[in-house]
Amino acid sequence: MPEKLEITNNIRTLRFFAHEMTQQELAEKAGVSRQTIIAVEAGKYSPSLELAFRIADAFGVPITEVFSYTK
Amino acid sequence: MSYQEKRTLMSIITSVLLMVSYSIYAFGQAGMEHINDLQFWAKTILVFIGIGIVVLIILQIVFHILMAISKAIRQKLSENEVDEKEIGRSMRVETTEDEMDKIIEMKSNKFGYTIMGLGFMAGLIAIAFGASAVAMLNILFFSTWMGSLIEALMQIRYYRKGIQ
Repeated sequence: MPEKLEITNNIRTLRFFAHEMTQQELAEKAGVSRQTIIAVEAGKYSPSLELAFRIADAFGVPITEVFSYTK
Repeated sequence: MSYQEKRTLMSIITSVLLMVSYSIYAFGQAGMEHINDLQFWAKTILVFIGIGIVVLIILQIVFHILMAISKAIRQKLSENEVDEKEIGRSMRVETTEDEMDKIIEMKSNKFGYTIMGLGFMAGLIAIAFGASAVAMLNILFFSTWMGSLIEALMQIRYYRKGIQ
């Protein structure tokens, strides 16, 4: 069985640099509920590839700037 | 506490209250008088399922209204005015059902179905050991209720702890 990757994200930092974008605004842009954004930001939920791209798109940055992983 | 957690908690409280009232009614005087009357038990269970559905729908509507009112009050207190469009937008974002909700639903459904399956087995075993059809009906009803209760509790757990 492959070892589990630890996925981390920079959503809080990116929200700060996007004029302190609220979680609600990000949720609206990504088309999900605020609860889901809270869970993703806290690392409690790893989003699908589609949602990950939509979050990156909301900030206008490549996906690798939002999510990263450590082995 | 998120909208989804509140909604699930509300359905847990409703189902517990309904089960308590079913138990008081069915295992009280009325039930004892019709201990072997399968038709009575089937009708009672159907009526309670119907009541449960109606109560849940009414509570959902009341819950949405109260949520909108609380948002309006909070907005009034902080900004001194109420923006209906903003409240509508905020409600949509809170109540949107997305991929995480679907995954949580699927994961918790598994627990619910397991309990229901075990209940079905328990019902068959009860019949095999000479219990009445009424007993089996009650075991099936109870296990279905227990399955949905566990399912709801698991949903709250997943919303709280997250899913990896």
